[in-house]
Amino acid sequence: MAMTRRDLLKSAAALGTAAVVPATLTKSAAAQTTQKKELVVAQGGDVAFFDPHMSTSSNDIRVSFNIFDNLIARHPDGKLQPALATEWKLDGQTTWRFKLRSGVKWHNGDPFTSADAKYSIERTYDPKNRLRVNTVLTSIDRVEAPDPATLVIHTKKPDPLLPARLAFYGGQIVPKKYLESVGPDTFNQKPVGTGPLRLVSWTKDDKAIFEANGDYWGGKPDFDRMILRAVPEMAPRVAGLLKGEVDIVTQLPPDQGERVKANASTRVAGALYAGLYVLAVNSGRPPLDNPLVKQALSLAIDRDLIVKELWRGRGIVPSGPIAKGDNHFDASLPALAYDPKEARERLKKSGYKNEEIVIETTSGYTANDKPMSEAIVAMWRDVGINAKVEVLEYSVRAQKNTQKTFKGLWWSDPTSTLADPDGMMWRLLSPGGPQDYWRHPKFDELGAAAHFSVDEKFRGQAYREMTKIALEHLPWIPVIQPYEDYGLQKYVEWTPNPNQQFEVRRFAFKFKRA
Amino acid sequence: MRGLLGFLGVRLVRALIALWLVTTVVFVVMRLSGDPVPLLLPPDAPRSEIARVRTELGLDQPLPVQYGVFLANVLRGDFGRSIHFREPAFRVVLGYLPATIELGLTAFVLAVVVALPIGLLSAIRRNSLLDHATMGLALVGQSAPTFFVGILLILGVSLKAGLLPTSGRGDWRNLVLPATTLGAFAMASIARLTRSAVLEVLRADYVRTARAKGLAERLVVLKHTLKNAAVPIVTITGLQFGALLGGAVVTETVFAWPGIGRLAIQSIYNRDYPVVQCAVFLSALMFIVINFCIDLVYGLLDPRTRPR
Repeated sequence: MAMTRRDLLKSAAALGTAAVVPATLTKSAAAQTTQKKELVVAQGGDVAFFDPHMSTSSNDIRVSFNIFDNLIARHPDGKLQPALATEWKLDGQTTWRFKLRSGVKWHNGDPFTSADAKYSIERTYDPKNRLRVNTVLTSIDRVEAPDPATLVIHTKKPDPLLPARLAFYGGQIVPKKYLESVGPDTFNQKPVGTGPLRLVSWTKDDKAIFEANGDYWGGKPDFDRMILRAVPEMAPRVAGLLKGEVDIVTQLPPDQGERVKANASTRVAGALYAGLYVLAVNSGRPPLDNPLVKQALSLAIDRDLIVKELWRGRGIVPSGPIAKGDNHFDASLPALAYDPKEARERLKKSGYKNEEIVIETTSGYTANDKPMSEAIVAMWRDVGINAKVEVLEYSVRAQKNTQKTFKGLWWSDPTSTLADPDGMMWRLLSPGGPQDYWRHPKFDELGAAAHFSVDEKFRGQAYREMTKIALEHLPWIPVIQPYEDYGLQKYVEWTPNPNQQFEVRRFAFKFKRA
Repeated sequence: MRGLLGFLGVRLVRALIALWLVTTVVFVVMRLSGDPVPLLLPPDAPRSEIARVRTELGLDQPLPVQYGVFLANVLRGDFGRSIHFREPAFRVVLGYLPATIELGLTAFVLAVVVALPIGLLSAIRRNSLLDHATMGLALVGQSAPTFFVGILLILGVSLKAGLLPTSGRGDWRNLVLPATTLGAFAMASIARLTRSAVLEVLRADYVRTARAKGLAERLVVLKHTLKNAAVPIVTITGLQFGALLGGAVVTETVFAWPGIGRLAIQSIYNRDYPVVQCAVFLSALMFIVINFCIDLVYGLLDPRTRPR
């Protein structure tokens, strides 16, 4: 393997850099403000589903959170704010009462009522609908709509995170009357929401065109139209930004940040990802059932080097399985250590007999997955581990994920959907969860108790203990918490959201006017 | 007349066999490549749900049964419903066709208009500076990876010179760079083949005779040479046309062009059998139609190949 496609793209991009700067300098003074009425956004892949309950992929939720509203919104600062619900309160342990916003209209003119909210929530977990978000709201026992402006939700057990669940995917509110009359397929192609964007047209793999909702209860966004383009290759995506064709590009790789910064009319905005990139471990397969082996694997990874070289400093080294920024993140824990000598010791103690240990990685499904795998395998070999990288196609990965047939380790980039360990560590590692490869009675007991507790002090204590167990047994080997970077024109004032929501509402997005 | 009908009949049967083979191969290969169900369901879907979806998609049937159903449906013009888009596969593919034809046709016209004169001129002025320069360039055009050419064009023409849009589909300006990128290979191979075909004919006895009897060089070239060199040129041109229309994954990806190649690749990743089958079927159909047209053109160009 002499040169990969990526390498060539990079060198091609580097060739362009020197030439780009002077051409764009001249218009820089004017480029700090704009009179534009149209926002152009380029992302790496096309929208696959407009039905918000059919997808959790970032390319889709960038759109669905803007076509639709949730009862409660999570703003870029991480706080929960009123949206379609103006007030909510916990009544006893398991009853939540929501007061709904009045006067809100669907894009087709129908009024929004509590019947829509009830229908929407029940739709997500009805197995008949087979929706991607089917597990998000399963703590709910039943939903009542006593009058058009009131919604009552009863949970099966106390659920402290219900508002947070309602604020993320699965919580988007869909129109009962419209959806029932046109059916799910038409709804997916011609979505009707209450949000600030209304879909006008969609050409697959090309662009989706949206119109700003002039009647939006939160105020019309600061543009008349938004065009969302799907530009799969990074080089043309960045070229489009530098040339001024595009106002915002998503998924800006770390090595392109300097180019965007060096250009006079563009800048980089990043948010620390609300989640972690971890190597998930099939702890059922020897020698990975031995905690000492996993500890050796973790100790042998020079994470600082990975952050510095592969991420150009755009990331931090995690301290455990809870992401920085989440509830109950323990700031006093040290970053995960790099100690090759200790790694060798523990390997020796573990009785490791040179069994092959495999990282199964996709190439580019998560940022830097393959380069990181190669770097880590080299680090492991240095301490005497017989390690190997195998590259999978994305759909094979999905299949292995469903059938739980990973050979050793694989990349997972869990989003902390609730800004809480319950929405990340427990969502994935709990018994019966998507990454149920390892069980520990104490961990399970604490996780289940914290899941159903409204006592934050108790939950904090539980997560501290679970972190300790997880760091000893390592069902995940956390590697990095990266920044998610976007490239923007300087005339765009916009705050990225750590959880991959792409917020175009008034409070987060504005064009700088002269 | 009967000869022509027989000729057409044989061609038609061959075309049908080719189509059948292509669809069968795609059917088998797609089924070997993996299961679409895990991609459709949440990662924690229960086994009963997985089984239900398999039944619904007909994937629980034995392969020969699935194949029989598939063939019967194709004969009725029904390619099934896209697993991913949840609409008829034919409609999905049809939606991508205009962009593919627009790009393929433009690339083809560009390639032919540039390549034919260049090939001809470099043959006539053999070993001249023009010959060496253009053939050198053609060699580069034929061997440079498409994505590299594409990205260099974006960086140079679009970003540095600020002339054309970087990517996407829109008006004619959006078409120039992808059509050039896509047409480069065809252009190079047509130019090179034209040159060698013409050179061959220029050595023929009847050309020497034509020259000996004092015919103007212009007429020698146009009347005697070009017509006789046409058969291989038409063949390669036709084949390139088919290839260009078949979709161009790399060019489409680099320029964010919503064409059939990208759809096919994406659908393979999504294990969207019906869409892949439909896209490949249509590409094969176009290829076969073009080949058929080439055969007809042979008859016009060279009476010896006409059926008797």
